[in-house]
Order: sequence, then structure tokens, then C-alpha cells
Amino acid sequence: MTSPVKSSLEHQLKALLPRGRVLTSAAQLAGYGADGLGYKNHLPDAVVIPADAEELAGFMRGAKSLGVPVVMRGAGTSLSGGPVAAQGGVIVHTSALKKIRDINTEGFWCEVECGVGLNDLDAALKPHGVFYPPDPSSGPVCTLGGNVASNAGGAHCFRYGVTSNYVLGVEAILLDGSVHRFGGPAGGRGPWREDWKRFMIGSEGTLAAFTRFWLRLLPLPEKVWTFRATYPDMKTTEAAIHALVAHSSYPAAIEMLDPRGVAMVESSQMACGLPEGSFMLLVEIDGPEALVNARVQSVAELLRQAGSNDVMFSDEEALRQKLWKARKASGGLLGQLSPSYVVQDAVIPKRALAEVLQLVYDEADAANIRAVNVFHAGDGNLHPNFLFDSRVPGELEKVELISKRLMQRVIDVGGTLSGEHGIGNDKSAYMPLVFGPDSMRLQLSVPAAFNPAHQMNPLKVFDNRRFVA
Amino acid sequence: MNVFPPMLNERLFVPFLDEVDGTLCLPANATAADIHSQARAHRLRFPLILDAYLDLRSQITATTHAPASCRFGPYCDNILGMNWRLPSGRIARIGERVVKTTTGYDWLRFLLHSGSRYGEPLDYVLRLRPDCGFTAIARFDGDTKALHSCVSNLLHSGWMHWWDAVDFVTEGGASFVRVMIHCVPEEASIFEQQLEHLAASTCTQLTLQNNTSPPLDGLPDLVIKTTPDRVINLASELADFTLRCVALCYSGVVHVYMNDSYDLTERIQALVQPYTAELHTLGGDWHSRWLPATPPTITESAWLNTLEEAIHEH
Repeated sequence: MTSPVKSSLEHQLKALLPRGRVLTSAAQLAGYGADGLGYKNHLPDAVVIPADAEELAGFMRGAKSLGVPVVMRGAGTSLSGGPVAAQGGVIVHTSALKKIRDINTEGFWCEVECGVGLNDLDAALKPHGVFYPPDPSSGPVCTLGGNVASNAGGAHCFRYGVTSNYVLGVEAILLDGSVHRFGGPAGGRGPWREDWKRFMIGSEGTLAAFTRFWLRLLPLPEKVWTFRATYPDMKTTEAAIHALVAHSSYPAAIEMLDPRGVAMVESSQMACGLPEGSFMLLVEIDGPEALVNARVQSVAELLRQAGSNDVMFSDEEALRQKLWKARKASGGLLGQLSPSYVVQDAVIPKRALAEVLQLVYDEADAANIRAVNVFHAGDGNLHPNFLFDSRVPGELEKVELISKRLMQRVIDVGGTLSGEHGIGNDKSAYMPLVFGPDSMRLQLSVPAAFNPAHQMNPLKVFDNRRFVA
Repeated sequence: MNVFPPMLNERLFVPFLDEVDGTLCLPANATAADIHSQARAHRLRFPLILDAYLDLRSQITATTHAPASCRFGPYCDNILGMNWRLPSGRIARIGERVVKTTTGYDWLRFLLHSGSRYGEPLDYVLRLRPDCGFTAIARFDGDTKALHSCVSNLLHSGWMHWWDAVDFVTEGGASFVRVMIHCVPEEASIFEQQLEHLAASTCTQLTLQNNTSPPLDGLPDLVIKTTPDRVINLASELADFTLRCVALCYSGVVHVYMNDSYDLTERIQALVQPYTAELHTLGGDWHSRWLPATPPTITESAWLNTLEEAIHEH
């Protein structure tokens, strides 16, 4: 930071955060240029790390006068280009706000600060016999602030649902520094006429800074059985998925790895003996021991009847982890296979699964881009992974063209652009596919109410959200 | 990146039933019979029904939860999309036909229980659930302490996920706990064993009604949203002044049913007034279909003005 303008910004920030940290050197800012998307880099002008909620509120009171964009960031694991400074400005890193303030098992709720790690919360809840169900695969590092901002999901959402199903209340600070509590432990409107938290959840940092949440909890399931089955083709896999979603055992998770994903796992050190060219389904059922044990054989039989002669299942922790191995390893392997990759995130009616997967293969093969599909099949939540090298001219453009055609098809079959990653700046250009003139006007009125100048996280969700100082 | 041009028309929902996804789009004035007539053939059901004859819109206007919200969540988790008529007469699509979405701001949950303040729903997209073929209702009777213990046991175990409903009902000076189960017939005996075990361990008397229909309580006159640990006491306190109270125990909701009278609205206001401050502190609320919505605060009015400009724009 050398220019007079930047020096002035640094001076102002240090006045706003007497106890927090202000980062401005190139080396310090380098780690904040991208999120989990990786290949798009937008360096902020500064990063601030408020010491607590009070200091964050102080910062927000003075933020308007800074005249630069303000971008909230938790662990930066977003996969949609959400918590990056796409228009420059200041990133507010909420890592210091990490207190679990209350766990109320009688009321089935907990109160947490926005910087609490998801798995840290899980660990804290477990001794109380309760859990918070959303489980994005970034659990070991992601924060609840990011989860709420992007309405995160996870592998077990098929039965348990996503973040928005579990947020009872949100404390938010607007750009005028005003602190508002929308909802609370009871999960209602509070003193407001309207239920404003509904707009806050999934708003991707475009409306307010979140400081704490009240989250709904469930009793821990007593017993879990994990099943792994492989299928020779998409038709039989699809038959198994359709039967599973209607089954009385209400599986918690129905995950799928396509043959290209299977090949990726089997050619790695994580190989676990999956048949070449197979589609793999990973299914989990849970519940009280007496009930879930009675369901095991019927689930196994369902998987066999759909066309698998390779069904394995277990309730032993070590064996269950082995069955999960291919699914869990796939994320890390993708990162090792190519310098860059894009994980798309679309949801489609499940009857269109085969059709849309074929489109992914056809488009990727034609462009000579490697594509691997690992996704939440029970929800129809596709995650095509496109592996490429952003340093090679034209490769990114190819991937963006495939994504564009994919999203057009997703909308044509009745689906939606994002199930759990959010829109960020990765998919903002596709929003006109979803919203007609009236619904688009309604959409844009929400930031107009809370953040009319688009100073909070500009160029996200809708790409015409540009901040003009 | 290639940008798509703005769409000229809304992608409105056209009535459909998707038996694979378990989704059904039908008019907002559809009744339980309309839903069942389409869903049953595919062994699907919509469990959040409060009244057999009234239309769905009336039920959703009256309350945010139904007994089966214990297992499946509130209406807003079970209604995925709407065709919504704006005050201008134009129709906007709100929400999706798929279960998971984080595409844009959540107008669906904002509008769903807003009555007619911003227009009206024309069609709903419902999330249906597998119809497993067997429904039973268990009734636990006992003294207050035993009923408290019974509810606590029902909710604080892995079984909690599998009760369709756990309700504390006060009526005519008596109280009981009502549990609804829905499963395949082959599992009925497993549930029955658990319920019998529970009755024995909590000193309550169990009456089990097998192969029955889900309870239909009708539309509540007053709905109070609080925390799950407060609902039983709240329902008990309100019992003396009401015809019937049904506490939806895990949802933290009390449905209050009152005698019809010329001063019903005054009685409702008097009933809820002592609880308002605590409800606000807890982030709870109350709502009555007989009373207008709470006036917005000054801060809220400013936000609403911006939204209303968009809603009313032609």
C-alpha cells in the first residue's frame, strides 16, 4: 500500500479498529485474493480482522465514509467467488468472532458467533447428544458465517435439509452501524412485522455483516448404516436413485460418483476396488437402533434389484469410513489432477439426471476438458467438476462456455443455478435465465432496501450490483 | 463471460405432479382432497394438513406450522415455489420446483405467510413425502409431571426424527400427549414397542389407535411461536382461557382454539399481551387470522417502502 489514497484508507481503518488488525502489505493480502474457486483472483486494498462483534459494529458505523466496497469473509472456502473483493475495497475477516455462546438442549438451539468453525460446533454439541445437521464437505475449515451467507448444504441434506432449515435467528449489522436481531432462539419474527431473516440467509454478504446466529438442533441419531453399490450404467443407477428417494427408510444421504470419478479414484493411492466404468452410489440410513436395523435388508435388496451385484454395507465405523473413502477422497484428488478446476452446482428434477449428465460429457469431451461428476443425487444437486489450466489461453473460456450451456439446460429442464454454493460472481451472469422481469425487480429490491449503494460485496449475485462511491 | 439477455416473461409454474421428485404444483385454493387425489396414486402424501375441507391457502395464512412439522419442518420448508399475483395483477414466479436452492434472495419464505399484504398466491409447488401406508395415533395420559417427562423422552432420543407429530393437548381441563406415527405396516410393531416402553418408563397410560387418519385440528385462532422448552407451560397457562390448546412440542408452537364470540379479537389480544415482551426477547412471535398484522416499526417501514415500490410497480 503506497498511494496516498491507500495510505489514507489504512489510516482510517486503524482508527476504526483500535484492537483489531489491519492488513495492507502485498504478502498479507495475497491469501485473500481468491476463495475455493481458486482461479479468479481479486486482491483487496486491505483486510481488517475485528477483535469482536463490538469492534465489527464500530467498523460498520464508519464503513460508509471509507468510500470503498466492504466484503465479509469467513474461512474463504466458498466455491462461487463470494467472499472476494471483486471491485477492490476492504475484506472483513471474521475469524476472531468464534465463541459458542450457548447450547440449550432443552430448547434445541444454540447461539454461535459467525466465525465458529462448523466442525468445532459439531464437536461442542456431541457431548450434549445433539447435532446441527448441515454438513458441507468444507466442514473442517468453513465457518457458520459463510454457511449462513451461502445457505450451505452437504451430503446429508437429502433428509435433513440445508442451512436455511436450521437458522432460527440472525444478528446483523447494516452499513449505518445499526445492529438488528432478526429472530432468535424461538425462530420467529421477533418484534418485527415481517420475517427479515429470510432475506439474510443465503444473501452472500450483500446485505449486512452477520455477527451471531441462533441455530436449531436435533438429537443425534443412535445408529448409522452405510451402503455402497456400483452399477454398470446410468439407467440402472437412475432406477436405484428413484427407488431410494421414495423408500420408507428416508435415507439421510444418497451420493453418486460417475465412472470418470471412479477412474480418478482407482488410478490414485486412494483406490478401493471399484469396478472400472461403474457408477457408484453411496447411501446412508440412520435412526434408532431397533428401527434402522430392521431396514437394512430392504435397502440392500432395493440396491440389488435396481441392477447392482456389488452391494456392500456396514454399521461399523471403520468399515463405514472405507465405504465413504472414494466419495470423500474425490474432492482432494480433483485438486491434484489439474492446476484449476470449477465445481458447478446446479439442481435439477431427478428425472433429468441422465440427460443433463450426458450434456456435461458431450460438451466437455468436445472441448477436450476433463469432467468428473461427484454429487448429491438424492437432491438432484449436480456438481460437475471441470478440470483445466487457467494459465493456458482459452481454457477458462471453454469451461465458461460449457457452464453457460449447462446452466441453460438446467433451467430448461426445470432446475436452478445453485443448490448450496451460492451465486457469487461465478454465476451472476446466468441470473437472467432464472428471473423474469417481475421477479427480477423483486430480487433487486432486496439489496436496494438494505444496501442501496451496493457497498456490501458488489458484483455478487447480480452482476449489475456495482458500487459507486 | 457471456451474459444472458433479460427475460421478457416470467417462467411461471404450470400445474404438474413429479412422482420421482415428489413435487406437486396445484392451485392455492386446492383442498386436502385435491392433493390426496393426485398424490395417493403415486404413494405420496402432503403431511401438513390442518383441515380436510378448507383450501391450502387458508391453512397457510392461519399458521406457519402443522403437527407434522415436528418431522418435516414448517410450511415454508415444504412449499418450494409459488405463482404469485402482484397488486398490479401481473404474476411473478417465486421459488423453484426443486428442493434445494440458493439462487437469489428468499422471497418465497418472506411472502408465504404475509397474508395479502403484497398480493396473493395463485399456485403452490408442494414437497410431498412417501406414503408408507400405516398411520397410528398414540395418546399418553397422566399427571402433569409424567406428561412433561413423556414429551422430554419423546424428543430427546434418536426416535424424535421418526415421530410425525409430538403434541401436548389441553382441552376441557384435561391434558394429554398425542404422538402420530407413519410407517410401513411391517414396522408398526417396532414403534408400538417403543411407545409401550415409553409409557412404562414415564408412568403414563398409553392408548394406541392403529390404522387411523392424521389428526385434523382445524385452523387455530391464535398461533404463538416460542422455544420448544416453553410450549407445554405456555399451553397449560392458556388452557383456562381457551377452548383448546395444541402445543407442537418440537416446533415450539402453540395453536390456540377459542370459543366464538363477538369480542373474540379483544380476548385474543388480552390473552397474548402478557407474553409479548418475552416472545420478542426470544425472537418468537404471535399471529392471529382474526387480527391485522403488527404495524411495522419506523426502521422496518423504510425497508418495506423500498420493497413495496418494487411490488407495486407496473
